[in-house]
Amino acid sequence: MQWAWLIPLFSISVVPLLIIFGKYLPGKGSFLAIAAIAAGFFMFGWVFMEWSNTDESIGNCSVNQSIGVRSCAYQLDWFEAGDPGYSIDRVYQGISGMLGIVIDPLTISMLGLITFVALMVQIYSLGYMKGDPRLNWYYAFHAMFAAAMLGLVLADNFLMLYITWELVGACSYLLIGFWFERPAAREAAKKAFVVTRIGDVGLLIGILLLWSQVGSFSMSETFEAAQSGDLGSSVITWSAILIFLGAAGKSAQFPFHVWLPDAMEGPTPVSALIHAATMVAAGVYLVARAFPLFEQSTEALMVVSVVGLVTALGAATIALVSTDLKRILAYSTISHLGLMMLSLGALGYTAAIFHLVAHGFSKALLFLSAGSVMHGTDELDVRKLGGLRIAMPITAVLFSIGALSLAGIPVLAGFWSKDEILLAVYSNLPPIFIIFTLLTVFLSALYMARAMFLVFFGTIGGSSGSAHESPASMTWTMGILGFFAVTFGFLALNLGGSLEGFGHFVFFEHAEAFHFNWWLGSISVLLALAAFVAAYLAYFRYSPVMARINEKLSPVLKVIENKYYLDEGYQWVIDKVVLGIANFIGYLDRAVVNDIGVNGPARIIRFIGISFRLHITGNVYSYALGVAIGMIGLLIVWWSRSV
Amino acid sequence: MVDLVYFQILSAVLFCIGVYGVLARRSAVLIIISIELMLNAVNINLVASASKLANSSPGTFLHFDGQIIAIFVITVAAAEIGLALAIILRMYRNRSTVNVDEVNLMKW
Repeated sequence: MQWAWLIPLFSISVVPLLIIFGKYLPGKGSFLAIAAIAAGFFMFGWVFMEWSNTDESIGNCSVNQSIGVRSCAYQLDWFEAGDPGYSIDRVYQGISGMLGIVIDPLTISMLGLITFVALMVQIYSLGYMKGDPRLNWYYAFHAMFAAAMLGLVLADNFLMLYITWELVGACSYLLIGFWFERPAAREAAKKAFVVTRIGDVGLLIGILLLWSQVGSFSMSETFEAAQSGDLGSSVITWSAILIFLGAAGKSAQFPFHVWLPDAMEGPTPVSALIHAATMVAAGVYLVARAFPLFEQSTEALMVVSVVGLVTALGAATIALVSTDLKRILAYSTISHLGLMMLSLGALGYTAAIFHLVAHGFSKALLFLSAGSVMHGTDELDVRKLGGLRIAMPITAVLFSIGALSLAGIPVLAGFWSKDEILLAVYSNLPPIFIIFTLLTVFLSALYMARAMFLVFFGTIGGSSGSAHESPASMTWTMGILGFFAVTFGFLALNLGGSLEGFGHFVFFEHAEAFHFNWWLGSISVLLALAAFVAAYLAYFRYSPVMARINEKLSPVLKVIENKYYLDEGYQWVIDKVVLGIANFIGYLDRAVVNDIGVNGPARIIRFIGISFRLHITGNVYSYALGVAIGMIGLLIVWWSRSV
Repeated sequence: MVDLVYFQILSAVLFCIGVYGVLARRSAVLIIISIELMLNAVNINLVASASKLANSSPGTFLHFDGQIIAIFVITVAAAEIGLALAIILRMYRNRSTVNVDEVNLMKW
């Protein structure tokens, strides 16, 4: 288990190989990246087995006091600077950094999700990206992305977490802008990087705030200090909110969600990776990892819940009216990330992580299917597609599985996880939350059904005529993901033996048996089914009733179609406020700093020089007169001193 | 024996004439001559003072300092006049004048 740090190392070590030698290798070296992530995946299996077979008494493992789960930590000295102090009340401390990994159920779940989805996506890319001239760079970025995310979930201190966190952001920038020949891709990459950076500033301040109070970057020490009451409640609240700011940036929560739909400009497998395993999962992971901190502050939890709910509901409505298949999926991701945050805010720790993994499988499957559609038809506008179930039967079946799973149709993975979230929200938050959450569930089923009906059913649309099924490397990986999207949900149940249910594996403070609230479950299923019926009527039968409802809602739809004018609002803020301030500061710089501060002394010196040089007349008489007057002056001085 | 003060008056008068000449003349040659006048005024002063000192203690040859410095001054003046006349010659070749008020290019 102490070798778990090899998991990211495999992937990061192939990056320079791919960049330098990739061009000369068969297949541009793609097999290297795939072998590395496959090795990481098997390593994860080994770590998982070993973790299951150890108990607290062995080596570095102990029951984590703040979470109550068995966790194993391995550390190395990294650096020390200044005078390392560990006391609470000291203001000036030295900095000491440790390289450390922590292995607990949360990390193991994430390791499994990341290595598995990254492996599937990289194999899928063999077919999807075939013939791309920069394939070695593509795989190098993929490997780096996976390595950064794996390092993020293994890190046992905030310093390593922050470094890998930024590395994840940088890799997402590189991959979203992979087709940088297209201006839209460049813009999207920049937008993703800048928007997430805004949140990252919050994360950095939060980490430094905690460090200034605790004197250590170690997460376990920080959380113990938080739970033992060594930290003031305002410090906990503020640091939790600041950390959540970082998480909201990465996980595309309102108001930072604007980068994610634009990130669709990247290659579709990249979208699958970002949405399922790496980028957006980091935010949810961070909140879950810092949960001992959040748990201490009801205000922070309320912020998380409200932001989660607003995000979930707002994104679900936009997904309903988007016309681009990938954008529908992107808003669906935002909506589901909102649900995960809401669940965390409602103390539904297990439910959030379970939904993260279940959603990861379903969303990776959906994105890979969308990529398959794009591969077959070169079209992503759902209005122009239709009837693809004939030409692309495998894709159609697998997309439907993913869609049904996300919509929360029973026995598929999304049903179980969503139900647990509903239960957590119902038990721990005011009733208004559960109403809007159920509305989100309904909308989520509705937009998935809409996408499904429009793309794969109905009449064969304009661009669908020449469609063809995708190659085996694509369909097989989709199939494997589809299998998990169907079966993963059963892990929530107590299956006997060592499979006691997910709640006995990942939990906070005490193991949770699987709860099932019959009437809540029934309502959510009924809502999902109602949504499917509505979508069937509106987008398959084109029923006039639905058309009339559409007509009635058109002013609302107009606002939603424009994404609540958020992008325009941000643009206005940037144009008027940010650039206004920048212009003012630029004027200050030119007028004060440059003209007065820099050029001012130069002007003064120049003026003095001009004035003083006037005595150099070039006329010998004036010099001679100077000599004579000087001589007389000296004589007078000498005479007056000698008298 | 003429009193020393007469030599000093002569020396001072010659020196003042030299200063006036340097300040008032336009021609570079006349300025140089005026400078010679000042130098020789100094020489007279030196030699007279040395002679006075030698006379005050007869029979000794100790006080030749003034004469020695005077010979140094004559030597330096000769060298200087050679250099100065060469410069004036070049000046005349280049600018067709030896009037110093017409040669005022080297200024601000």
